[in-house]
Amino acid sequence: MGKSEWRLIMVLTVICVVSGGVLGWVNALTAPVIKAQEELAKQRALQEALPAATTFVEEKEFLGKTESSGRTGIVEVYRAYDDAEAKGFVFIVDQKGYGGPIRMVIGVTATGNLSGVKVISHSETPGLGAKITDAQFLTQPAFREAKAGMALAVTKDKGEVDAIASATISSRAVVHGVNAALSAAQSLLEVEATNGGVDVD
Amino acid sequence: MTKWQIFKNGVFNENPTFRLVLGMCPTLAVTTAMVNGLGMGIATTLVLTGSNVIIALLRKVIPKEIRIPAYIVVIATFTTIIDKTMAASMPDLHRVLGIFIPLIVVNCIVLARAEAFASKHNALDAAVDGLGMGMGFTLALTLLSSIRELVGTGTLLKATDFGFEGFALFPEDLGAKLLILPPGAFITLGLLLAGINWLVARKEEKAHD
Repeated sequence: MGKSEWRLIMVLTVICVVSGGVLGWVNALTAPVIKAQEELAKQRALQEALPAATTFVEEKEFLGKTESSGRTGIVEVYRAYDDAEAKGFVFIVDQKGYGGPIRMVIGVTATGNLSGVKVISHSETPGLGAKITDAQFLTQPAFREAKAGMALAVTKDKGEVDAIASATISSRAVVHGVNAALSAAQSLLEVEATNGGVDVD
Repeated sequence: MTKWQIFKNGVFNENPTFRLVLGMCPTLAVTTAMVNGLGMGIATTLVLTGSNVIIALLRKVIPKEIRIPAYIVVIATFTTIIDKTMAASMPDLHRVLGIFIPLIVVNCIVLARAEAFASKHNALDAAVDGLGMGMGFTLALTLLSSIRELVGTGTLLKATDFGFEGFALFPEDLGAKLLILPPGAFITLGLLLAGINWLVARKEEKAHD
């Protein structure tokens, strides 16, 4: 190889090494902050779904069992407590929407009432499906009065949930997510009833 | 060219969106709401200015045979820095613009300015060019997204992720939904381009008379 070819290799290598170093440094600075932000956002979302609780403990065992039972989309399950008192469950659920996955946080109280639904990320059409984040949709009576074990449906499917106009697919995805959480909550509550309450250790 | 002329060139005469018609992918994709357009414009401006300065400083060191890979590495580095910094300091905006930030790497405006300007000028001029082009891009995205948001949903600057309801100018049900859907991006951009071309043509005609 001639002298000029070596120069090409050297220059590009130096540029790549320097930029790699800079990126490593930036990553070391921002990674812990990003992680803390994500943790904070998640904590806030859990709190919003079940305002009565203050601490949330991830329940990993249940998740393995839920896969086979046909309740699809549940990503994480949390047991919610206020001090040592069990307040219910919070579920993080993914459902397929119109524009991509919809991730929501759904809270169910210890008495089996749906306590809150919050959409944390989605890629639905702005102005149409994106309205699934609106309080008007998420706090409608059908959701407020929902109980563990119930299966809701949008009015178009002869159900009780008022879908967002021209966004039935997005609305349906949220309803499916809520149903998955309600059904999971039902079996979690049943287990507790047979065990005679939760043991907190 | 004076610094002011370089700056003005990027904003008006060679506006990346309306005059050069570069970077159409983010232009069409993010302009559904004014906040997104504005945020994308600012992020692109930061990357553009940073990479322009570095490339101008390195212009005598980088052999012309490998200039494109060298530019891409510099641009990708800046984009990643912006991406990480935004995720750490502005998680809400980062969530909204999420997938578009990494795509700044392949935004042809950034590479075009490296090739056409930064590699031939000093660092200060290159910084001014980056700022001007970035401002031009930001203005174009803001204009396009404000029209789409206003006509499509009846609001302006609505940003629920930041807890800001925006200015509701008429009820949302009366909005022309088409404008916030993908075809609306092409229609609005086409009309704006036609309007601006007409203005420019009229100006040139007057200059000839």
